[in-house]
Amino acid sequence: MNRKKGDKGFESPRPYKLTHQVVCINNINFQRKSVVGFVELTIFPTVANLNRIKLNSKQCRIYRVRINDLEAAFIYNDPTLEVCHSESKQRNLNYFSNAYAAAVSAVDPDAGNGELCIKVPSELWKHVDELKVLKIHINFSLDQPKGGLHFVVPSVEGSMAERGAHVFSCGYQNSTRFWFPCVDSYSELCTWKLEFTVDAAMVAVSNGDLVETVYTHDMRKKTFHYMLTIPTAASNISLAIGPFEILVDPYMHEVTHFCLPQLLPLLKHTTSYLHEVFEFYEEILTCRYPYSCFKTVFIDEAYVEVAAYASMSIFSTNLLHSAMIIDETPLTRRCLAQSLAQQFFGCFISRMSWSDEWVLKGISGYIYGLWMKKTFGVNEYRHWIKEELDKIVAYELKTGGVLLHPIFGGGKEKDNPASHLHFSIKHPHTLSWEYYTMFQCKAHLVMRLIENRISMEFMLQVFNKLLSLASTASSQKFQSHMWIQMLVSTSGFLKSISNVSGKDIQPLIKQWVDQSGVVKFYGSFAFNRKRNVLELEIKQDYTSPGTQKYVGPLKVTVQELDGSFNHTLQIEENSLKHDIPCHSKSRRNKKKKIPLMNGEEVDMDLSAMDADSPLLWIRIDPDMSVLRKVEFEQADFMWQYQLRYERDVVAQQESILALEKFPTPASRLALTDILEQEQCFYRVRMSACFCLAKIANSMVSTWTGPPAMKSLFTRMFCCKTCPNIVKTNNFISFQSYFLQKTMPVAMALLRDVHNLCPKEVLTFILDLIKYNDNRKNKFSDNYYRAEMIDALANSVTPAVSVNNEVRTLDNLNPDVRLILEEITRFLNMEKLLPSYRHTITVSCLRAIRVLQKNGHVPSDPALFKSYAEYGHFVDIRIAALEAVVDYTKVDRSYEELQWLLNMIQNDPVPYVRHKILNMLTKNPPFTKNMESPLCNEALVDQLWKLMNSGES
Amino acid sequence: MADTAAAGGAGGSGTRSGSKQSTNPADNYYLARRRTLQVVVSSLLTEAGFESAEKASVETLTEMLQSYISEIGRSAKSYCEHTARTQPTLSDIVVTLVEMGFNVDTLPAYAKRSQRMVITAPPVTNQPVTPKALTAGQNRPHPPHIPSHFPEFPDPHTYIKTPTYREPVSDYQVLREKAASQRRDVERALTRFMAKTGETQSLFKDDVSTFPLIAARPFTIPYLTALLPSELEMQQMEETDSSEQDEQTDTENLALHISTDDSGAEKENTSVLQQNPSLSGSRNGEENVIDNPYLRPVKKPKIRRKK
Repeated sequence: MNRKKGDKGFESPRPYKLTHQVVCINNINFQRKSVVGFVELTIFPTVANLNRIKLNSKQCRIYRVRINDLEAAFIYNDPTLEVCHSESKQRNLNYFSNAYAAAVSAVDPDAGNGELCIKVPSELWKHVDELKVLKIHINFSLDQPKGGLHFVVPSVEGSMAERGAHVFSCGYQNSTRFWFPCVDSYSELCTWKLEFTVDAAMVAVSNGDLVETVYTHDMRKKTFHYMLTIPTAASNISLAIGPFEILVDPYMHEVTHFCLPQLLPLLKHTTSYLHEVFEFYEEILTCRYPYSCFKTVFIDEAYVEVAAYASMSIFSTNLLHSAMIIDETPLTRRCLAQSLAQQFFGCFISRMSWSDEWVLKGISGYIYGLWMKKTFGVNEYRHWIKEELDKIVAYELKTGGVLLHPIFGGGKEKDNPASHLHFSIKHPHTLSWEYYTMFQCKAHLVMRLIENRISMEFMLQVFNKLLSLASTASSQKFQSHMWIQMLVSTSGFLKSISNVSGKDIQPLIKQWVDQSGVVKFYGSFAFNRKRNVLELEIKQDYTSPGTQKYVGPLKVTVQELDGSFNHTLQIEENSLKHDIPCHSKSRRNKKKKIPLMNGEEVDMDLSAMDADSPLLWIRIDPDMSVLRKVEFEQADFMWQYQLRYERDVVAQQESILALEKFPTPASRLALTDILEQEQCFYRVRMSACFCLAKIANSMVSTWTGPPAMKSLFTRMFCCKTCPNIVKTNNFISFQSYFLQKTMPVAMALLRDVHNLCPKEVLTFILDLIKYNDNRKNKFSDNYYRAEMIDALANSVTPAVSVNNEVRTLDNLNPDVRLILEEITRFLNMEKLLPSYRHTITVSCLRAIRVLQKNGHVPSDPALFKSYAEYGHFVDIRIAALEAVVDYTKVDRSYEELQWLLNMIQNDPVPYVRHKILNMLTKNPPFTKNMESPLCNEALVDQLWKLMNSGES
Repeated sequence: MADTAAAGGAGGSGTRSGSKQSTNPADNYYLARRRTLQVVVSSLLTEAGFESAEKASVETLTEMLQSYISEIGRSAKSYCEHTARTQPTLSDIVVTLVEMGFNVDTLPAYAKRSQRMVITAPPVTNQPVTPKALTAGQNRPHPPHIPSHFPEFPDPHTYIKTPTYREPVSDYQVLREKAASQRRDVERALTRFMAKTGETQSLFKDDVSTFPLIAARPFTIPYLTALLPSELEMQQMEETDSSEQDEQTDTENLALHISTDDSGAEKENTSVLQQNPSLSGSRNGEENVIDNPYLRPVKKPKIRRKK
C-alpha cells in the first residue's frame, strides 16, 4: 500500500489502457424499449502479448466486433445470470453468497475481468507487440433492458414526446455496462464522445459539453453531439432522453435544468436556490466547479432520488415543489447539495478501487455537512450528526460492523472481516443496500473525526490539494500518465493529510477505517464529598457483535455550580474508574448566577439538586468525537437541569430520551418549559412532545389537569376568545408550524386509565380538523392535514372484541365512526383536489390499516391492492404496499404474498420492486423459528429462482 | 247617403255608448275618433259626387285615412324629436308631407275650395274619470334639480323600503363555526355525490353506503397531479401574495424571467459577474443573449455527413 502519487504506482489490472471512447446511440425505440448503437474504444496495449481484451457488458446483444477494421471473434459470458447452477443441490444463503461473490468477481473490471472477451485477430499481433493503438468497434443493441436504462412510457394518446415518454440511465454503483459495452470501472478514465440520435421533439442530455445538435436528413430526428474532455470513468457516464422543458439557470448560464413537460414553474422554483450551493462549495474548496457545464434532469420513476454523474445529476421528479410547500423544500435542497458535493468527489475525482470508496463518500458527505451547517445552522447540523451517529451505531450493534477500508490479503476465510454478514463486502455489487447506506454514513462521520483531529482548515486544504492536482491532470494529454491523479486512494489521501497538517492520524484511521465496529460505553458516577471528587466509572462492552474496544482520549464535560469544566480522560485497557476533582464546593445559600459552557450566566432554581453535591450534570463525549453509544446514569434532576440549561441540542435530545424513564411532575415541568421556549431548537421541542406523552401515560393515575399539551397548544395556536377553535393557519414561522403539526400527533398517544385515548383529546383533534382554515395562508397545509390524520390514527386503540365477532357497521365504536367519517371525507376530497405528493392519501391509507389492525374495521387488503397498482403516485403505492405487507404478516395470507412476489418480479418501477423487498425484510411475514403456513417449499423455490435471476 | 250612414253610425254609437257605460275611456275615445273620421270620409265622398256608399267601402276608406293621418303624426313627431323638441311645428308637418310625396303647395287651394263641407266638431264626451289609485302617503315634491315638467314621483310605497333583517353575526366563534360546518357540508355533499355517481370501494363488505370511498383510479402520468398545485391553491397563492406583497418572492420571480425585464437582467448580470469575471467582457452590451448550447438552433444536416 505504499504508493506514491505521480508515478505509475497504480497498477492497472488490465493489460491495456483506455484513452478515448465513442458512444453512439443512433436509434431509440420507446415503443419497443430498445436501443441500437455502437461504441468505439481506443486502447493502448501495455503488454506485448495482448491477445485477449476483456470488457464489461451486460444484457446487450453484441452483433459485431472489429478491431482496427478487422473482424474479431468474441465470447460473451455473464455468470451473474445464473448465480448458482440449477443442477446443484445446495440451497443456503452461504452457498449463494459465495457463488454470487465468485460470479461478480469473475467479471469485475477492477480485477481485469469482464463479461465480454474479445480475441485480437492474429493479423494485429505484430501491431500489438509494438504497443500501438487499437480501436475496438462494437455494434450492440439493447432490448427491453431490465436495468441500466429505464424507459418510462405512459400509455396515453399522442406521440412519444406528447406522452412525456422518457428514458434515463440508472443503476447502483458501476452499472454502465448494462447499457453499453465499456470498462465499467471507476479507475479506468478516458475522454468521451457521445452521440445520441433522438426524435426531433426530444432532448438528449448527457455528460460533457453539447457541441452541436444536427438534424438528420429527413429532419425528423436530431443528433446531439457531446464531448467530454475531462477524463471520466465509464461508470460516471449517464444519459437522459425525453421531451424535456429546458431552463437555463438565471444566475449561472452554464447550468441547465431539465424537467418533464408542464413542470417548468416548479423547476424554476426548485432550482432557484442551486447557485448558492455552487457558491458555497466553490468557496470552501477554493476551487471552481471542475466541469464547464452542469445539468440537472428531473425524471419520473427514478431509481434513486439523487444520482450524480460527470457534469450532470439525475433527480427524481418528485423532488420538484412549488413555493407553497414547506416540508419538501429543505429535503430537496439537501438532495441538490448532496449531488453537487458528489460532483466534486465521486464524479470528477474518482476512486482507485472499491476499498477507497470511503474516502469519496466521506469527503462528499463531509462537505455536504458543512453546507448543512451553513444553511440550516449549527443546531440542525449537530442534530443531523447525532442522528447519523445513532443510525450507524444502531446498525452496527444489530447487524455487525461496517468496515470502511476492506483490505483483502490472501483471502483466508478465517479472518474474513465480514463473517457476520451474509454477503461479501469485497464488491460493491454484493453488498446489501442498507449496508451501503450505513457505509456512507460512517464514512462522513469518520471524516468529521479526522477534521476534529487536524482542524477544518487543514481538511479543506487537503481537499483543495486533491482537486487542484486532479484538475491539472485532467487538462493533460493521456500520454503524460497524469490521469492517475484524478483517482483517489486511501493511502494517497492519508499521505496528503499528513503532508498538509503534519499530524499523525494513523491511530484514528486504524480504529475507525481499518476496523469495523463502534464503541459502547456505560457510565455511572459517585460524588465523594470528603475529597470533593467525582468518581466516574466508564465501562466498555467490546464483546458483543459490532463493537470494538476504544483506547484513547475521551472528553467529559461536568457542569458544576461554578461553571462548566472539560476533562479529558485517557481510556486505557484496565482503568475503569476516573477521579475528577470538582472545582466548586457545594453551597446552596449563595445566590449567584451559574456560568454555562457558552459563557452565558443563568439563574437556576437549585432546590431540586442534591444539597451535598455541586454537580449539575455530566456529559460523556459531548462533541461526538468517538463513534459510540453512551449509556450514562445520572439522577433525574440532573437530566432535567441538562434539558433546561444545556444549550447544546444534542444534550437536550439525550436528556429528553433519558427523562422517559423518570415520569415525575418535575420531568413534566421541565419538558413543558422546553416546549414553551421559543428560542429552543424546534426538533428538540418536537421530541419533547413525544416524551411528554410517554411520561403522561406512565403517570396516568396521578396526572392532574387537562391532558398533556392541550392547554399549551390552546395557548399557542388557538384563538384568545374561543379557546376551542384553532387560529386560521399561518405558517410563516416554520418552527411553530412544525410544533403545531407535531403536538396533536403526540397528544393522540395519550391514554387514560383504561388504556384508551381520552375522549377530550379525540374531540380536540377532530375540532382541529373541523376548524382548519387555510384560506389566508401563504403555504399549503397538506402536510399539516396529513399529520392530523396521523394523529387520528394514533388515537386508535384495539377494539374490544367479543368472541371474534365479525366487524360490521352496527357494532362500530362511535369514536371510530367519527374517525372514519373524517378519513372518508379526506380520502374522497383527495380525488377531487389532490394534495402535494398526495400526503393526505398516504396518511389515510395508513390510518385505515391501523383501524383494520385494531379490529375496528374488517381486515381486507383489496383497498390497498388497488392503490398499490402501477399508475398511482409512488408515495401512495409505497404506503399501500406497506399495508399489504403488514396484512400478509398478520393474516398469514399466502395469496397476498404471492401477489407481492409477483409485483417484485414484474413491476415496471425498480424503486417499488426494491421497496417491497425492503419492506418484506423489515416486516417479514414469518420468522425463522415460527410455524407458518406461508413457509413452504414452493415459496423457497420461488425465492431461490428470484435470487438466481441475475438482477443485481 | 253618407249622412245617413254617418247619422246611423252616430246613433248606433250613441246607443252603444249608452248601453256600454262600463267600457273604458280609451275605447270611448277611439270610437269617437273613428266616428268623426267616418263623417269626414262620407262628406268627402259626397263632395266627390257619390250618392251612396257601401258600409264596407266607407270602412276601408276610413281605415286608409286613419293610417295616413297616423303616419303624418308619427313622422312629424320623429322630425320634431330629431331636432330635440317636444312640440311639433308647422315645418315638421310640411317636411313630413313632402317626405310622403304630398304636394304642399296644393294644400291652401284645396282648403279654400268652395264646395267643402264643414263638419261639426264631435260631440264632447265627458272626459272619462280615471279612478283614483290608492294613494299612500304624500307624494314627494321634486327636488330642485329636476324640472317641474317631469312626471311626479310615484307613490311612496313603490320605492320606500323598510328592510327587515337580523343583526349581522359578528361573533368570531359563530363565524368560524359556520364557515367550518359550511365547508364540511359542501365537501361531504360533493364527495358523496361523486361517490354515488362513480365507482366506490368500501371498508365494510356488508355495507357500501355509509363510508363510500371513491374508487382509486390510476393515472397515466401520476406525478402531474401529485406535484402541480391545484387551481384552487394557485388562486389562493396569488391572493395571499398580492395581499402581503412579499418582497422576496417578487424579486425572485423577476429574476427568474430571462426575458427583457430590466431589473431581472441586471440582477443576472451581477450574479454572473461574481461567478466568472472572465465572461464580463463579452457580456457587455448583449443583455438577453444567453449562450447555452441547449438554446442554440438545431443545425441543418451537412450533405457529406452520413447518417
